Amino acid sequence: MPSTDRQHAFLAGVRACIPLAPGVLLFGMVCGAAAAAAGLTPGQSFALSWLVFAGSSQIVATQLFVADAPGWVIVLTGWIVNLRFMMYSATLAQQFRGESRRSRWLAGYLLTDQAFAVTLARALDGRRDIPWFYLGIAAALWLYWQVASLAGIFLGTRVPASWSMDFVVALTFIGVLAPLLRNRAMAAAAVAGGLTSVFLVLPLKLNLMAAALIGAAVGITLEKLWPKSPSGA
Amino acid sequence: MAEIAVWGVIAALGLATFATRLSFLALLGEGELPAWLRHLLHYVPPAILAAIIAPQLLAGAPGLAATLDGPRTAAALAGFAVAWLTRSTFATIAVGMAVLWGLTLVQW
Repeated sequence: MPSTDRQHAFLAGVRACIPLAPGVLLFGMVCGAAAAAAGLTPGQSFALSWLVFAGSSQIVATQLFVADAPGWVIVLTGWIVNLRFMMYSATLAQQFRGESRRSRWLAGYLLTDQAFAVTLARALDGRRDIPWFYLGIAAALWLYWQVASLAGIFLGTRVPASWSMDFVVALTFIGVLAPLLRNRAMAAAAVAGGLTSVFLVLPLKLNLMAAALIGAAVGITLEKLWPKSPSGA
Repeated sequence: MAEIAVWGVIAALGLATFATRLSFLALLGEGELPAWLRHLLHYVPPAILAAIIAPQLLAGAPGLAATLDGPRTAAALAGFAVAWLTRSTFATIAVGMAVLWGLTLVQW
């Protein structure tokens, strides 16, 4: 692809990120503020933001730091939250066929739910500028995220607790969860995961990991029992 | 946790996440996910998202005696309805927080 075409595709990606900005900025600020409020130093809070760079995993790690969970439980639980990236990576690899190693590694580092979802929709439209479009939207999203995290780390602790801003986390996850519930097996996995985390209390803060695995097991089992329900994949 | 241990946890989680993202893009090439893994990865997100959300709707700690917090549960249901209809995270947050603040103000 000529370099001007690459530039156009990259800039189209950057523009496609603009509608995502309000949600990404708000969630990024909340993640930064949560890490700072959990007692992590500003350096550690920011390291979560650029090393892990995945809001739900950052929130889970933050909550487990507060709960004084063992380090291996934090790493393992935070990683399970991010396992879905392997699915995205497999799909995106087909689009990055023939691209340089450097751009593949960059694409991997920048991989997020939103960048992947928007790029996949464009790929299904049959567009051929996918790699550079993806790098544009993913890089713009990365920048929004880091700026929002810094704002949250340094300003977030000044927001009074009576505003209940911690609930933004739950609402953000509800916003991500609702569109996933496309069939009965997905809904059952969610219900099983939610009930497990409420009623099952395990040592070492293993609840969340158990809830994820039990919920997934319920979903997989029901998909086998209800073979006619659409898989939604 | 000691400061150095916190750094270790953040670095380990960061590297594990990076490796997961790179998996097929840079390391494994264009392989196929085994079917059992694809199924597992498909069902983990709804399960873990719900597992993160549910305890935040409680009035106290999780456990067999757990009870729901009224305003938070109502705000979550309103947020869910908005998310279902609009698929907008921002609208979900705005409506959910408005409901939570409104109900807290009237001292429900």
